[in-house]
Amino acid sequence: MTLLIQDEYPKKLLRDDGKRLDGRGKTDLRPIKMEVDVIKNADGSAYIEWGNNKIYASVYGPREVHPHHLAKPDRGILRVFYRMATFSVFERKRPAPGRREKEISMVISECLEPVLFLELYPGTSFEIFIEVVDADGGTRCASTTVAALALADAGIPMRSLVTSCAVGKIEGQLITDLSGIEDKAGESDMPCAISWFNDEISLLQFDGKMNRAELDESLNMVRNAMEKIYEMQLDTLKQKYIQIQEQNEG
Amino acid sequence: MENNEEPEQDDEFEDEETSREIVAPGEVLTEDVHNFIPGRGAILNKKGDKIISVIIGLKQIKKNYINVIPLRGFYTPQIGDKVIGIITDKNPVKYKCDINAKYEGILKIKNTVKHNKMRIRGNQREEETLEKLYVGDAIIGKIIAADRLNSPEITLVGKYLGRKSGGIIIQIDPPKVPRIIGRNGSMIKMLKNLTNCNIFVAQNGRIWIKGINIEHERLLIEAIYKIEEEAHTTGLTDRMEEFIKNETKRRGME
Repeated sequence: MTLLIQDEYPKKLLRDDGKRLDGRGKTDLRPIKMEVDVIKNADGSAYIEWGNNKIYASVYGPREVHPHHLAKPDRGILRVFYRMATFSVFERKRPAPGRREKEISMVISECLEPVLFLELYPGTSFEIFIEVVDADGGTRCASTTVAALALADAGIPMRSLVTSCAVGKIEGQLITDLSGIEDKAGESDMPCAISWFNDEISLLQFDGKMNRAELDESLNMVRNAMEKIYEMQLDTLKQKYIQIQEQNEG
Repeated sequence: MENNEEPEQDDEFEDEETSREIVAPGEVLTEDVHNFIPGRGAILNKKGDKIISVIIGLKQIKKNYINVIPLRGFYTPQIGDKVIGIITDKNPVKYKCDINAKYEGILKIKNTVKHNKMRIRGNQREEETLEKLYVGDAIIGKIIAADRLNSPEITLVGKYLGRKSGGIIIQIDPPKVPRIIGRNGSMIKMLKNLTNCNIFVAQNGRIWIKGINIEHERLLIEAIYKIEEEAHTTGLTDRMEEFIKNETKRRGME
């Protein structure tokens, strides 16, 4: 057995028939599977499989803040802990939280804050723990999606759910939902999140080159993709209760 | 003896106005904002042209209010609620107890004994009362002061209140408590009659159980968890009665 270590990225990211390396069309999403209430000890929890990404999220709160000096007297705080498992990426990831993880934690927390009624819970904290078990591009989008699902599952009042997806450019073509290779070898990458309350953009990061017309088009593309994911989120949340109803009421 | 003297409580899950429709946060409940007012668990959206839900729950239309009955959530202390707490800390001035809320409940010494029964013998007073409760004791208390900013205050003076010894305490989701009691206490009466157990259901989702033997207690706990899981279905009282009768027969504990 030889160990294959891929140092170089493939030169062509689009196949001859115009499809992507994993056989998807330009606006196709990777297969998504969601589940709620997977961790018994948490107040609310959710799990997502988005292509090769496997992510758990658990929510606790409202509860007292530790350390106490972080508490705000007029409103509650939302703390997000995004962590990657050491075995989640190809080369072993050092277990200590790095710069990237702290940034993503902050980004997700700022993305979810506007949908919560934090002003109703002064002096307390809501905590979201996101554990990436397997990573393959677009973990911050998948994490935001699953964190919103876990918050809703915990019964915490929210204005709406939050859905996230990425758009990008490879070989001059706009595509939705980039995989790991497309993310690294492509031209640009734009993770985007929407809070459905009043259709506001909640997260927008950008990396690479794109002109103005392409940006407008990619925002339209990502909206279509997010609408599909939003349907799945709602379905997952309700299915848990609908199943019990159907079983018992016949 | 251990009765839940709250027969007036409505079972919001069993209400005729409550539909079987499950709504998620952000879902539109109605677009008719002229005839309906957002009630519990619902808000107007930013433009003011739709009423949306803020929690996962069951949609309920009561007169011209639209409510959402929560299926999951946390306990918020309210004045008059009876709660089951566990003493976590004590000092010469007060006890602290865990009541399953976001803040710890405070139990002052003066609220542990009746006013006319307090015996004052020099400096002995505080020590005597402090002897009454220990860390780890379970108590049934009533909330006498609660707001959004401060820790709730608890009293032990009153009917059915005080320290509990013996029995089992189990924990369920606080929003499902009305379902355990049932409309006019129908569910809890049925559970008591069929399992011969004493039950006390507290508003914070904790339930105190004491039966004649462990088999009956075990059956009751199973039944309570089943009610919690199926709280959003119809005809639950009849189904639970059937379940308990079948189980008693199957386990041979007449």
